[in-house]
Amino acid sequence: MGALNGGVTAPIRAIGRLASGSLAEVGAVSLFALRGVAAMVIGPWFPGQILRQFAAIGFFSLPVVSLTAVFTGAALALNIYTGGGRFNAEQIMPQIVALGLTRELGPVLAALMLAGRVSATIAAEIGAMRATEQIDAMRTLSTDPFHYLVAPRIVAAMVALPLLTLVADTIGIAGGWLVATLTLDFNPAVYARSTVDFIEAWDVGSGLVKAVVFGFIIALMGCYNGYTASGGARGVGRAATQAMVSAGILIFASDYVLTTLFTDR
Amino acid sequence: MGVVVLGLTAAFLVYLFTVGDFGGGRRGYELTARFGQVGALAQGADVRVAGVKVGTVSKITLDPATYFAQTRLAIDPEVKLPSDSTAKITSDGLLGGAHVVIEPGGAPDNLKPGGEIQNTQGAIDLLGLIGEVVRPKAAPPETGAE
Amino acid sequence: MTQPAPKLEWRGVTKRFGGEAVLDRLDLSIEAGRSVVIIGGSGQGKSVTLKLALGLMRPDSGQVLLDGKPLPGFAGGAQRRLFARAGVLFQGAALFDSLTVWENVAFRLINADGVPRARARIRALAALDQVHLPATVADLYPSELSGGMQKRAALARAVVADPEVLFFDEPTTGLDPVTASTINALIVDQVKRLGCTAVSITHDLASARTIADEIAMLHGGRIVWRGRPGDLDKTDNPQVRRFVAGGA
Repeated sequence: MGALNGGVTAPIRAIGRLASGSLAEVGAVSLFALRGVAAMVIGPWFPGQILRQFAAIGFFSLPVVSLTAVFTGAALALNIYTGGGRFNAEQIMPQIVALGLTRELGPVLAALMLAGRVSATIAAEIGAMRATEQIDAMRTLSTDPFHYLVAPRIVAAMVALPLLTLVADTIGIAGGWLVATLTLDFNPAVYARSTVDFIEAWDVGSGLVKAVVFGFIIALMGCYNGYTASGGARGVGRAATQAMVSAGILIFASDYVLTTLFTDR
Repeated sequence: MGVVVLGLTAAFLVYLFTVGDFGGGRRGYELTARFGQVGALAQGADVRVAGVKVGTVSKITLDPATYFAQTRLAIDPEVKLPSDSTAKITSDGLLGGAHVVIEPGGAPDNLKPGGEIQNTQGAIDLLGLIGEVVRPKAAPPETGAE
Repeated sequence: MTQPAPKLEWRGVTKRFGGEAVLDRLDLSIEAGRSVVIIGGSGQGKSVTLKLALGLMRPDSGQVLLDGKPLPGFAGGAQRRLFARAGVLFQGAALFDSLTVWENVAFRLINADGVPRARARIRALAALDQVHLPATVADLYPSELSGGMQKRAALARAVVADPEVLFFDEPTTGLDPVTASTINALIVDQVKRLGCTAVSITHDLASARTIADEIAMLHGGRIVWRGRPGDLDKTDNPQVRRFVAGGA
């Protein structure tokens, strides 16, 4: 009877532990997010910190985002050209490429590049502060870390990512334009004109709304994992990795939800 | 590096939104043509003679009185066109590549800068024609303006 | 005439970590203006005792009282007012890496008290002077300072706003004997100058003897001995004797 109990129920118990552990984690993250949002809405605010974070998150991400965008735009153009060719409709390529970039690839790729770079950096920074008691010190200096550290990063990311997405959209279209005019015999002015005439404001707008959500996710995951890091240097490293992975997963999941919302059927 | 990216982005955006505006006016002389239907023809599209590009469509506007589409074409100064030439709107494929083809006439005198191409044939509604063959209308069908 | 409430008091405080009681019905009270050092072996719960007094942790049972009033929970405003009266020197100095030394020292002034930067800098330089750090250090970053200098900068940060209570977490750990005695002297200096209450935790007996008016020993989650530094060598208490012998 005892052996049966142990052997059969062990995997079920393990699943149960995993489930309740995951639920607990979801709860903890949600509470953290609420505190972060409260700190954004209710003062005191630290505009100097917001600007600093905006420069770090936004400006210094420009190179990696633009490189990602130009190669993706070019590759996408080639593939859509191939697909269009099967319907004798190669000429529609500029429009489809622009649509794909503004609605999906611009925001998502920019966000993924930042999930790796920014989320991990925030987690490492805050995690290191946690490990060296700087977070405790800040509290004893009458300054709430949620107001000084977390809220500025979330605000900065929510503003920076839509701007980066605009850059990604533009550079991505430029990539498609380059490959089309240089290797596929498209007329450069026609390509540009077709793109501009076809794209609607909401195509770009829906991409920007996604970018705001993704920015929130990236900053939140970085701050949460850093703030709750434990275990010295190894813990900081683990926090950085977890931040990056969880931000990535949440970006894909929310992208699907948002795309469904934005698609009229 | 970030500054470079911002600069390139701004430059390309400016290009995207103003293309066709500066393509025509700088060099080349201007001719006009009126069409009953321009179809998918867009600003900046090619103007070709015998398959060779000789200019671009610099502007397309609607004449509010006659409901004709008024186009302005910027033509290479070294290409002279007889005054009875015909301008047609055609396309490379089913779904795109609309451009203007000019078939030179035989008249001894040439179109002057600012002149109008009198003979035009507008874009052909191919799908509409197919539809009429499959399901013919009672009255004779209208083609593009002649 | 009734006695004024002790400045800081732990009353029946219990704190558990993973089922084990690190502090078990701890009772300790500290009079205003006294410098008390809590000694004990590693892992005996000295840091926890401090963090409870700072409100960084909450006891599982019992209370911590400041001026006779129980510490508030984690509610923002009340906590901040509490912290406004305390200065803390953390074990690793805990200076903010991305700010210069003077910005660290003036952190509370600029970010919590709304002091304009120019005036805050003047007060920071005065505090650095108190701990005998040259003004040239003010614009360096913490990583450019030695361990001893970082501790002194952190001490300046703790005293810049004239606190009523000073907390020291292992102030001399990791420092060479010369630097350690400098820190000890500075601590005695500042406590005397401010006339504040001081609570320190350490396992460095030499430091304890120098800075304490009274020493309390923490063992098994409770205070097992309390007396003056001179009494350390005269007591019969077995834990104290073992501790003193080890650290002699």
